[in-house]
Amino acid sequence: MMNPLRDAWQSIVRRDPLSTDKGKSELVFLNVWLHIHPAKVKKDNLKVKHTFYLGFITFFLFLILVTTGVALMFYYRPHPPQAYQDMKDLQFVVYLGSFLRNMHRWSAHGMVICVFLHMCRVFYTGSYKRPRQFNWVIGVVLFLLTLGLSFTGYLLPWDQLAYWAITVGTNIGSYAPLVGARVRELLLGGHTVGESALLRFYVLHVAVLPAVMTLLTMVHFWRVRKDGGLSRPVWKLKPEKAARLVTIGASDTIAPLTAVPASKDKTYGLMEVVTGKPIFETVSMEEEEDTVFSYPYAFFREGVALLATVATVMAVSMFWKAPLEELANPAKTPNPAKAPWYFLGLQELVSHSALLGGVVVPALAVLALILIPYVDLNPSRRPADRKWAIRAFTLFVVVNVVLIVVGTLFRGPGWAWVPPWVHITGAE
Amino acid sequence: MERRLPQFFFALSMIVLALMLGAIWQAGTPAWRSYQQEFHRLEAAGEPNAAAKSGVLGANLVIRQALLPGLQRVDRCTTCHLGVEDPTMKNARQPFTFHPNLAPHLPARFGCTVCHGGQGLATDNQNAHGKVPFWQEPLLPKEYIRASCGRCHKEGDVPGVPELTDGRRLFETQGCRGCHKLNGVGGTVGPDLTEEGAVHRAPAWLERHFLDPNAVSSNSPMPNFHFTKEQARALTFYMLSLTSEQMATYYSSVRLIPSAGYGRQLFVEKNCIACHNIGGVGAKSGPDLLGVTKHHSPGWLDEQLVNPELVYPGSIMPAYDLETNARKAIIAFMAAATAEDAQSILSRRPRPLTAQDAAIEAGKQSFARFGCVGCHGLQLQGGVPNPNSQGGEVPSLLHASDDYTKEEVIAIIRNGKVPPVDNSAKPAPPLYMPSWKGVLAEEDINRIADYLWSLQKKKESW
Amino acid sequence: MKRRSFFSWGTAGLVALCSAISVSLGAVVRFLTPSVFYEPPQSFKIGNPADFSFGPPTFLAEEKIFVFRDREKGFAVANAVCTHLGCTVGYFQSDQRFHCPCHGSVFNAEGVVQYGPAPRPLEWFEVTLTRDGQLKVDKDQAVPASYRLMVS
Repeated sequence: MMNPLRDAWQSIVRRDPLSTDKGKSELVFLNVWLHIHPAKVKKDNLKVKHTFYLGFITFFLFLILVTTGVALMFYYRPHPPQAYQDMKDLQFVVYLGSFLRNMHRWSAHGMVICVFLHMCRVFYTGSYKRPRQFNWVIGVVLFLLTLGLSFTGYLLPWDQLAYWAITVGTNIGSYAPLVGARVRELLLGGHTVGESALLRFYVLHVAVLPAVMTLLTMVHFWRVRKDGGLSRPVWKLKPEKAARLVTIGASDTIAPLTAVPASKDKTYGLMEVVTGKPIFETVSMEEEEDTVFSYPYAFFREGVALLATVATVMAVSMFWKAPLEELANPAKTPNPAKAPWYFLGLQELVSHSALLGGVVVPALAVLALILIPYVDLNPSRRPADRKWAIRAFTLFVVVNVVLIVVGTLFRGPGWAWVPPWVHITGAE
Repeated sequence: MERRLPQFFFALSMIVLALMLGAIWQAGTPAWRSYQQEFHRLEAAGEPNAAAKSGVLGANLVIRQALLPGLQRVDRCTTCHLGVEDPTMKNARQPFTFHPNLAPHLPARFGCTVCHGGQGLATDNQNAHGKVPFWQEPLLPKEYIRASCGRCHKEGDVPGVPELTDGRRLFETQGCRGCHKLNGVGGTVGPDLTEEGAVHRAPAWLERHFLDPNAVSSNSPMPNFHFTKEQARALTFYMLSLTSEQMATYYSSVRLIPSAGYGRQLFVEKNCIACHNIGGVGAKSGPDLLGVTKHHSPGWLDEQLVNPELVYPGSIMPAYDLETNARKAIIAFMAAATAEDAQSILSRRPRPLTAQDAAIEAGKQSFARFGCVGCHGLQLQGGVPNPNSQGGEVPSLLHASDDYTKEEVIAIIRNGKVPPVDNSAKPAPPLYMPSWKGVLAEEDINRIADYLWSLQKKKESW
Repeated sequence: MKRRSFFSWGTAGLVALCSAISVSLGAVVRFLTPSVFYEPPQSFKIGNPADFSFGPPTFLAEEKIFVFRDREKGFAVANAVCTHLGCTVGYFQSDQRFHCPCHGSVFNAEGVVQYGPAPRPLEWFEVTLTRDGQLKVDKDQAVPASYRLMVS
């Protein structure tokens, strides 16, 4: 009786018990979901202070969004009056409907924030530098996709908030010379936000963008492994260890990360033989003491990060409702009509200069972000060695945040300066 | 840290579990469930035997709704207001109270919100009563609910709601359209009022506004019309009824209610008293209408109003183009009409009745029906361009008596007339008077002439 | 000892996590169960008893039911949907039977199959009198063919 059961279990897990090191390794190697991890990870990589797990949290938020989003699709029809009625049904009659909608809404905002913070973290730790330049570019594209997903989802409730945010948002885009109006027409399937726009945004939101997002996320994760694993605060290593650091693809001239010749004392894997170079950033005789098995150390940490993310989103969703205003009314523009908050920095700029806010600044910002790893040739990742880069990026972040805060909180009817503590009477 | 990790993991798992249970508890205990349970207890108290009691108590708790595609609404009010159709709940407390006098507006066909306002889709007190931000139709206060009748019954009188008729009349007579647009017609000084009853729905504000515009909206350009309280109330009612909401034919077909009051209005407008009398008061050309509904069925009377010729060949009564409910209204008026009614109608006529009136009225109808107005105009003013005729247009008929005798006019109608040509080199004028001999009976031609002369005389008397 | 505490907390956490997941799965099933239906209600009023004549049954096309009224026995309501493949049957006064137009099934006046491929007799629905004096049919409540509602 026991043997068939054990055989069945063995046929599923195919690994030695987890109490053995072999079992711990096989848990990772033999599992399709876990083998994106290495069997053993550097202790440094697990430190919260270096990454804040922001990449993981962003990914977990994406998972929450996919799950709740698929659930919401069961009750949503992408057609003007019904779309709004379906929001009301989610709120009033569908079991857990408003909870799921709240979770979806708040996770979406959370993801925009976390993906931005993740980008900041990667910049400040210099992790975009050789050999990770291209993964940074993929990251920028993923950031833009996140904005695109959030923006397309913003329209779907078909209330006044959605309608006018998308009207304003797509108009910011139409300031782009030559192609702006054409892109807007393509996106809306018309010249104003109407039923074809809703359908197009829906298809983009539930099919096109998530598919692209998933594929690029896979590439992003793959590149993390292939580019030498998670980055570590290498500048904090003891000198004797730092001396042994190598970076794949690094030319010999730009020390300190030089390639070392193969060592007799180490067994090399096929990958290392193929590349001719070790695939880890460090090759150290004392490697054993620097690393731990992914199971349980890394997995429990990731589990904690996942649960903390889920718990936060759930708690927020229990107490704060996702907004839903009156049915979209193309004849009545709210004053002020605002784009989604992450575009309010641009709207603020557009209010001063259409060309500047609508074209120059966003184009330059995206271009600059993409080019960062190819322009910043300073090989050092030590913060003390890259003061100007850090100052410049900090300025970029601060300006961004200030513009968004101004656009969100300090702009009232007619885009006039109205601090949030001033209440305007009679304003609709 | 390393050792505490599993404890963190455990704690967070428990938190997620607790939050999930919390969400489930929140979703599983909406207020309407306890209302339904309470109602079932109320119902059970009224049941005689134990089996019926337990049957009522064990009934499922479900969201009740009326699907109203014709009104583009879904009303879930009866999820809590469970006793609206149950007369035994007459004295039950809200939300279970019985709604008297529902027929013919049965909840299954009409729902609740089309009259009461509120948010039909909602299932909790605050939202359902619409007293929340971003809902434009909050529940109407009790004293204003009757204004909602005007949302479907847009014409004529609504029995029991004189305010609507008064409000409509005030709006059209006080020059409101000078500043306000309604259904696309009117000025642009004030706000468009087409959706006033659908968007604002603030009855108290409106009423104070009519009494003194400045009191509620400072520096309002609207002058103070010094309306009385009744007038302000009537205008408020009318405002609350204004909506361009799309309604299916089932609802919009009763734009006017076939009331006796509206029938009387039509009776005056169509000048019935010019031929008919009621109990001997009025003209004698047509039959006495006193008790006419007792001698004839409503169906017969209706047919008579549609086409008198079919019922009585050779009847001189013209066929009036009246819609179904207008005919019903006239019949309703005739059922109750007395000689006193006829007397009061007569006394308000601008000029006394003459023997000619019957013929004139019939002539007027023929004039309209046979297309004379197409060239000569509704006011007989003529003016339709007719190139290369003398004067270049179809002549006005208002001065026919200056140029022709009545006999000459009758001859023209009978035989037709080609208009005198201005320039014989150019093509003949396209319009000419056809011969009506085969189309119109001799009496018809005579009556049309009578009608034309009646207007000439009026002109001379001025 | 250290190891054990590590894994027992972890196991407890896994148990809690699994229960959270199973609770969520239950919630998902309930989320997907419709709480309102955008279709004609199963239980509805058909009017006053006096609206229905004695003799041949009244067919209500929208509701797809036959309303029988008998002077002695009272009211009964039959489903007009054939038990074979769901076509709407017709009642023929000439032979007092229901005929299905699709595959020729014939039911007698009690709804029992006389002929054709129909596997079951026609359904009969509960009809009750509401407190405001109207007849109410409940399509969720099947009753035997002998069920009758007497209205005085």
